[in-house]
Amino acid sequence: MPQSADKILDHEKLFREPEYAALLEKKKQDFEFGHTAAKVQQVCDWTKSREYQDKNFAREALTINPAKACQPLGAVFASIGFQKTLPFVHGSQGCVAYYRSHFSRHFKEPTSAVSSSMTEDAAVFGGLNNLVDGMANAYSLYQPEMIAVSTTCMAEVIGDDLDSFIKGAREKGSIPKELDVPFAHTPAFVGSHVTGYDNALKSVLTYFWDGKANAVPALERVPNQSINFIGGFDGFVVGNIPEVRRMFASMGVEHTILCDPSDAWNTPTDGQFRMFDGGTSKAEVENALNAKATVVFQEHSAEKTGKYIAGKGQEVVFLNHPMGVGGTDQFLMEVSRLTGKPVSKELELERGRLLDAIGDSQAYLHGKKFALYGDPDFLLGMTAFLLELGCEPVHVLSTNGDKDWAVKVQALFDASPFGKDCKVYPKRDLWHLRSLLFTEPVDFLIGNSYGKYLERDCGVPLIRLVFPVTDRHHHHRFPTWGYAGGLRVLVSILDEYFEALDLNTGDVGKTDYSFDLVR
Amino acid sequence: MAATLAVKMQSVFQEPGCEHNLEKSDRQRKKGCSSQLKPGAAAGGCAFDGAKIALQPIVDVAHLVHGPIACEGSSWDNRGALSSGPQTYRTGFTTDIGELDVIYGGEKRLYRAIREIIEKYDPPAVFVYQTCVTALIGDDIEAVCKAASAKFGKPVIPVNVPGFAGVKNLGNKLAGEALLDYVIGTAEPEFTTACDINIIAEYNLSGELWQVKPLFEQLGIRILASLCGDARYQQVAYAHRARAAIMLCSKALINVARKMEERYGIPYFEGSFYGVGDMSDALRKTAALLVGRGAPQQLIERTEALIAVEEARAWARLAPYRERLKGKRVLLITGGVKSWSVVAALQEVGMEIVGTSVKKSTREDKERVVAIMGDDAHMIDNMTPREMYAMLSEARADIMLSGGRSQFVALKAKMPWLDINQERHHGYAGYEGIVTLVHEIDKTLSNPVWKQVRQPAPWEQ
Repeated sequence: MPQSADKILDHEKLFREPEYAALLEKKKQDFEFGHTAAKVQQVCDWTKSREYQDKNFAREALTINPAKACQPLGAVFASIGFQKTLPFVHGSQGCVAYYRSHFSRHFKEPTSAVSSSMTEDAAVFGGLNNLVDGMANAYSLYQPEMIAVSTTCMAEVIGDDLDSFIKGAREKGSIPKELDVPFAHTPAFVGSHVTGYDNALKSVLTYFWDGKANAVPALERVPNQSINFIGGFDGFVVGNIPEVRRMFASMGVEHTILCDPSDAWNTPTDGQFRMFDGGTSKAEVENALNAKATVVFQEHSAEKTGKYIAGKGQEVVFLNHPMGVGGTDQFLMEVSRLTGKPVSKELELERGRLLDAIGDSQAYLHGKKFALYGDPDFLLGMTAFLLELGCEPVHVLSTNGDKDWAVKVQALFDASPFGKDCKVYPKRDLWHLRSLLFTEPVDFLIGNSYGKYLERDCGVPLIRLVFPVTDRHHHHRFPTWGYAGGLRVLVSILDEYFEALDLNTGDVGKTDYSFDLVR
Repeated sequence: MAATLAVKMQSVFQEPGCEHNLEKSDRQRKKGCSSQLKPGAAAGGCAFDGAKIALQPIVDVAHLVHGPIACEGSSWDNRGALSSGPQTYRTGFTTDIGELDVIYGGEKRLYRAIREIIEKYDPPAVFVYQTCVTALIGDDIEAVCKAASAKFGKPVIPVNVPGFAGVKNLGNKLAGEALLDYVIGTAEPEFTTACDINIIAEYNLSGELWQVKPLFEQLGIRILASLCGDARYQQVAYAHRARAAIMLCSKALINVARKMEERYGIPYFEGSFYGVGDMSDALRKTAALLVGRGAPQQLIERTEALIAVEEARAWARLAPYRERLKGKRVLLITGGVKSWSVVAALQEVGMEIVGTSVKKSTREDKERVVAIMGDDAHMIDNMTPREMYAMLSEARADIMLSGGRSQFVALKAKMPWLDINQERHHGYAGYEGIVTLVHEIDKTLSNPVWKQVRQPAPWEQ
């Protein structure tokens, strides 16, 4: 018997025992009647060919294994970032169930979000009743101080008018007259989750600054010395926002984080369930109008929001997810320029330490080839950091990045000798990437958990730095921004590198000539 | 909504196989099976999700979602329905429609996507899923599928279940209708035996089908088709040649079991593979149905012999846990058959059931809970997270068994929790599975972390 009470084998080992191996082999021989191993191998090899890649890239209608999510997912993310705010998605309840499970699988935390549970009759007659009833129920069940409304495709296709519906809900007494209800239209068939983040965030600012949907007079801007910070859609937000706050505090910068879900997705196990936690308060949102300037950390997550803020008379600085030494330098210099405060000694020290660490390891990473996919801003930041480390970001691919984005990535390639043979792929999916990984192999892949299938198919080690990470725990709790975050990203890459190296050099008597204790 | 869909929905609301449904007035029946959704309150998945869940376990076909990124992007490969062979079902296929498709219609794009799948993957069939957006803009997926079928000479099955049609459970049923309309009865098995059965509404989550399949095989009973755990398209297509059927999750696919009885004369019973007694009942009833339809009489004796051996073995394996688990209080938050079928086994190892949820259970399920537990005092109809949390934090239970969505309620209340729904990694079916379940409960309860979270920080002591 392969299984015994003295030594219980778990599933991953058990079926390798000779008894099972023989059984599975017999099943294959006697019952499966598949194509011959040679034929399977032949087709498998063909999918790795240049010829297949050409066919793959000629695809026009089908998206296979997309690397993006939908607008309302981003809208829920943005809404979670405000104090005691319940994300309310007008449309189908199934969509919202997906967002909740998606976020919960990544953050290992509950995610509060509700929908108006639209059904067939709502689609025919309009979703007004659902929205009115939904608001009343959501308010009485969960007692939020703000309800941030976004929409699923369903409400968008029939053209529901959120503004008048919400006014209707107030008139019918479904929610108190004074309850704050910003709203954004977020159809999934336009853009991606970063667009949804942008729309939802803009809706909150517009609501508070421009007179709460005509209920009160618009706010007057009285400029002060404070600055605003907008992080954008970010899977590592739980670690990153506190890190940004720490950097600002270190420099004595008066600041407002616009949208901060870092506490809501990081609640302790102390016996108390927190439906809402932390987040940007209404007073902070209102005050943010008076700020001197706004720093947008991820341009694609806040294009419209940034333009709107600029229209109010603030200086708006757009960054592209700056990472590593150069990226963080750029970020801190902008902050310093805007506020007139010098970069602190503490941050200077951290910078030196990160440089030291990169220096210590440079020989290992120099010239290593990477494929990376994810959101447009992350890819810009990560590409710059890889180039800084002496790595070659050979394939940079995005499903939601467009031609303009590709031009920016190309500019990064052009500015570094390590970018010489690198290529950017806008509007492509993970099946395209699979072809690329076969025809032009790389050493490492940077992506999210879905990348594990590419890791297995193509034998390229995966480094998980992109939302969602559902099969590794707690990485999101650590920052990837700032010098401290740069160190963390560096270590993630190095860990994977050394793992791969140990694996490749582990055969006793064959490859262990470089199985070293000290590396 | 397309007229055909409306008619389909009404047809699944008329379910003579369901006592609960029979008791309703015509008017109540028209309104559907589940209570109306409450807008604004937390809710579960939609009808599309239900349909996808029910059919996705057909492992060798391509499942193509016609809609914007949201639907496939969120449901791609998100359940542990295992395959013993092809992995095609785990690939995310979607038309990922954009704004222009919404304006000009997505039918052509869908047709081209089907063509590309057939050219690149050549699966035995393509299942095309309708979604809210493409339904609202009027894309006729049935027509596209029909045209594609004719053009490519391959089954292209429309699953016309947009999310807005209703809740997840309705989606399960409508998925079953798609199988009845387009798949079942379209092929013939190479041979048939007097002991061929179908297993309906089993999804091979964590390999549970594989925990019970050997039992049937030992009796010479062949699982002709599984709907749809680890299923191949061909199997489903010739399912109509089975001699009997076991229906596992009555709420999900009762319409399929009942209609297969009407159309093909395949008798069925509702059973469960969870718990020792229920597994034995399922074997017994299967044997009886088959013998009733002409299988050799001695099948019954052989079944009894197998049950005697397996039960003795299972109880012997459970016995060592008795000492460790005695008196431990369990809160069961699940649905349907599991609300009663694991209760007996947990009681057998000395655990006390402080509550079991019957939100998704049928009237028969509820009756069985009462029969097993003595009264209905511990039956929870619809516990809100708040009540659940209060119950757990007041330590009126030692462990909660539930699905992933309520796990955080338990964990935040410092309460041990074990996943018994679709995202778990262990199979709990049959005589094997119940031992695994008890073993997992024991492991969870004895993990040192619970002591840790319940102690104050050292500086506060």
